[in-house]
Amino acid sequence: MKKIKTIKVGDSHYQVDMRGWMCPYPKYAVEPLIQKLEDNSRMDMLVDCPSATQDVPRVVRAMGCKVSEVSQIGTGEWRIVIVK
Amino acid sequence: MDSKFDSEQNVTSSVGVMPVGQNCWKQVYRQVVNVFYISVWKKAWPLWAGALALAFANIFMFAYARAIGVFPQMAMWGSYIYNIFGIKVYAPFTAYPLTPLYLDMHSLINFGIIFGVAISAFISEEFKIRTDNWRGYIIALIGGGLMGFGTVIMPPCNVGGFYSATMALSLSGPLSAVGLLLGAYVGGMFLKRQAKEAVDALDFSTLPKGEPVKKTEASLQPFIGMMIGILLIAVSFFYVLKGMSKPAGLLLFGALFGVIFQRSRLCFASAFREIFVSRDGTLMKWILLSIAIGTIGFTILKSQGYQQMAVVLPVGLHTVIGGFIFGIGMAVAGGCGVGILWRSAEGYIRAWIAVIGGMLTSGSWILIYGDYVGKGWLYGKPFSLGHHFGWFGGAALIFLFLACFYILITFLEATKNEKN
Repeated sequence: MKKIKTIKVGDSHYQVDMRGWMCPYPKYAVEPLIQKLEDNSRMDMLVDCPSATQDVPRVVRAMGCKVSEVSQIGTGEWRIVIVK
Repeated sequence: MDSKFDSEQNVTSSVGVMPVGQNCWKQVYRQVVNVFYISVWKKAWPLWAGALALAFANIFMFAYARAIGVFPQMAMWGSYIYNIFGIKVYAPFTAYPLTPLYLDMHSLINFGIIFGVAISAFISEEFKIRTDNWRGYIIALIGGGLMGFGTVIMPPCNVGGFYSATMALSLSGPLSAVGLLLGAYVGGMFLKRQAKEAVDALDFSTLPKGEPVKKTEASLQPFIGMMIGILLIAVSFFYVLKGMSKPAGLLLFGALFGVIFQRSRLCFASAFREIFVSRDGTLMKWILLSIAIGTIGFTILKSQGYQQMAVVLPVGLHTVIGGFIFGIGMAVAGGCGVGILWRSAEGYIRAWIAVIGGMLTSGSWILIYGDYVGKGWLYGKPFSLGHHFGWFGGAALIFLFLACFYILITFLEATKNEKN
């Protein structure tokens, strides 16, 4: 099984690197990821699938969490900042 | 000084006093950049815009030559490759005989899609060579292979066999949706399980500390995109000079489809997959609207005697079974026929492998089945709703199907909300 590269950036602040995971993997992964995340945490999800920039925020908002930023960080790469 | 007067005469800016004309041109420049660059190339198009653009592009291309559909020509590419390696096999679709690819007008639609997506992906700085691991490539090969079999059994693919066929008043269109829907669900659940297993292996409490990924500088991609655009125009012009204006037009139509798909992310595989997997029918609802518009256009053209049997396909149990196989394939490969072409041009290696898988299985169909697609024991007869119920009656039946599909999707979405 392919591993999701994840690091701790700071206190309750994580970076989940899903670059290399085509759609719809980021959309399907974000729900269990948020469930695992403790409250008042921030998760920066990195994706390289353009559709994920729309799909992931939709799932996050439906779960009652906040998407504070969706920004392009490189060619074909984006960061989605999720706050639980 | 009166501020109104100020704005009409001279504007004081950080660079000093600016004449009126210069200020106007600045505004024009800002407006042009905003409309023709930011809105078109930097922001994703709203789904409704993609759905409308797709419907009108398909009506116009049908009026010009033919409707959108990509897999039969890919099957021909597969047969072509077999013949290059000494394996004699005819192309499975009689309307798509073995032809050098650059002379085949149907193939030029596919090349156009690749061109259009590449132009769009580069200008919007979304192109990237996206690699995967060997498991991902094997899944793509299997997904592409399943789509290849699905396309010859159904026939043809999702966009041709469902989208275009439904608006062309072929009974096979609505019937294929049954198989596609179930197949996409099976394939989608497989992907969802894989994603969940990867998340289950994660533990936030034991993660190593690290540096976050930083934003990179601006790239040359928009310039490369414009160069590809110029190349597309040059290639089209070359075809016109050689007296092949119809293929040239189809190449440009293909490019238009490529831009529409890339900018609006109107993914048919996702539309079918998400209805049951996520109980989210947003994409499919817009596709249904697109089909409704297309149905009006196709019915008007056909009722005037234009290509009345175009995209009217064999119908039978094979439509559902083929749709089911194709549905699984498109879900696991990450796109239907158009989807894998489009993602190939965005740099997904996985999509390249899916294209190869799809070409090689569909291209070998005559070796396996012994006859052409649409002939022999497997296939039913083409059934045109227009011929059996009149053009108005046929279109009314398609609208009834679209309404029923819409209600089913809305019901499934409601069951999700109830569960929550």
